[in-house]
Amino acid sequence: MPELERALVTLGQNLDYPATPNLSGAVARRLAEGHRPSRPLLRRRSLVVALAILAVAAGAAMAVPQARSTILEWFGVGGVTIRYVEELPEVPKASSELDLGDRVSLAEARRRADYDVLFPELEGLDRPRIYFRDPPAGGMVSYVYGSEAAPKLLIQQFAAGGVLKKLVAGATEVDFVSTRTGSSVWLRGQPHDLFFLDASGEYQYQAGRLVGNALVIEGRGVTYRIEADIERGEALRIAESLR
Amino acid sequence: MVGRPLSEAELVERAKHGDQDAYGELVHAYQGIAFRTAYLLTGNGADAEDAAQDAFVKAFYALSRFRAGAELRPWLLQIVANEARNRRRSAGRRVNLALRVEADPLSGGAAPSPEVNLLAGERQSALLAAVNALPEEQQQVVACRYLLELTEEETAVTLGLRRGTVKSRLSRGLARLREQLEVSDA
Repeated sequence: MPELERALVTLGQNLDYPATPNLSGAVARRLAEGHRPSRPLLRRRSLVVALAILAVAAGAAMAVPQARSTILEWFGVGGVTIRYVEELPEVPKASSELDLGDRVSLAEARRRADYDVLFPELEGLDRPRIYFRDPPAGGMVSYVYGSEAAPKLLIQQFAAGGVLKKLVAGATEVDFVSTRTGSSVWLRGQPHDLFFLDASGEYQYQAGRLVGNALVIEGRGVTYRIEADIERGEALRIAESLR
Repeated sequence: MVGRPLSEAELVERAKHGDQDAYGELVHAYQGIAFRTAYLLTGNGADAEDAAQDAFVKAFYALSRFRAGAELRPWLLQIVANEARNRRRSAGRRVNLALRVEADPLSGGAAPSPEVNLLAGERQSALLAAVNALPEEQQQVVACRYLLELTEEETAVTLGLRRGTVKSRLSRGLARLREQLEVSDA
C-alpha cells in the first residue's frame, strides 16, 4: 500500500471517535416496543424549495394502503417507473418540500456527476439555479427556473440506473413521444409525484408536483425530467435544446 | 450441553423470522463499525448515535430484502450511511474530524524520540486538515476506504456508488490530498 494510503489508515486508527454507545440495548427496546422508524424527509435548510401546490396528495408507493389504492398497471422509462393508482394517498403537508442537494455552478455539477450533464440552450430561458445531490448513484443535477417560492420550470437529470419512481393517478395522461435525446413519456393532467429509493430500499418522498406537467426522457444512459406548467410542444422544445 | 454459537447466516435467518434476540447479536457485532461510519459521515456524536440506531431498526424491518449469501456488513453500513447523510444534510454542516489527544502517530514501531514523534504528529494533523478540506463526495470515499478500512467493494455498497465511481473519487481525493500536503510542506 502506498505511503499516503498507509498514512490515512493510521490516521483512521488515531481519530477521536466518541465511545460507541450501547446501540444493541436501545435497538432491542425499540423493537420490543414495536417502534418502526419514521421515513425521514429529505431536507436541507439552505435548499429546501417550498412547493407552490400543497394540495397535491402524495405518498410512497410502498406505503399506499391496499384498500385505497390498486395498482392497475405499471411500466418504466429509463430510471423512472410509472404506476397508475386509482387514488393518490395523502401525505403530511410538511412533505411538500423539494430537496435538490447543494447549490452549485454548472461547471461543478458537470465535475461531480458521473455522466455528461446537458444544459438547455433555448432562447428566452433565464439562468437557472443549479443543484447537485448524491444519491442517487452518479448524482442528480437540477435546474430551477423562477423564484424559490414559485418555481416555473424544473429540469432534472440522473443516471438511468437510478431508481426514481413516479406515482400517477388514473386520470393522468401518459403518452409516449420521441425526441432527439431519446425515448420519452409525457405526463399531463392530475397530480403526479416523485419518489426516491434510498440505500435501505425504502421509498422516500422527494418531490411533489412542482409546477405542472412533466416530460421524462431516457437517452444516452441518462434520464431527463422536464416539469413545467407548459404543454407538450414547449416541453419538447426544451428537451431538443439540451446540449 | 452447550450448543455451538450460531453463525451470522443463521442469526440473519432467525432475525428475518422476527427473532429479536438473534438480531440483537448482530447489532452487537456491528454496532462499533456502524457508529464509526455514522460519525465519519455526520461529524457529530449525537447525530451518529441517532443515525446508527435508526438504521439498525430500519434494517430489522428491511431484512426480508436482504439477499441470502450477500455480505451483511456493507448492507447494514449502506443503511447507516444513508441515515447519517440525511442527518448531515439537515444540519447543513461540514464534517470536521479530530485526532485523539494521546494519538500515537508511529504505532507499531520502536519508541521514537520526542522530536520524531512531534514531526509525525504534525504530519498527521496536516493530513487530517487536508481530509477535512476535501469535497464531500471525495471525503466520504476516503473515509470509508481508508479511515474505516472498508474494501473498495464495501465502500461502493456503503455509499451506494458504482465501483468505478469509488475508484475515480478515490483517485481525485488522493491527488488533492497530495497537493495539499505538498503545499503544507513547502
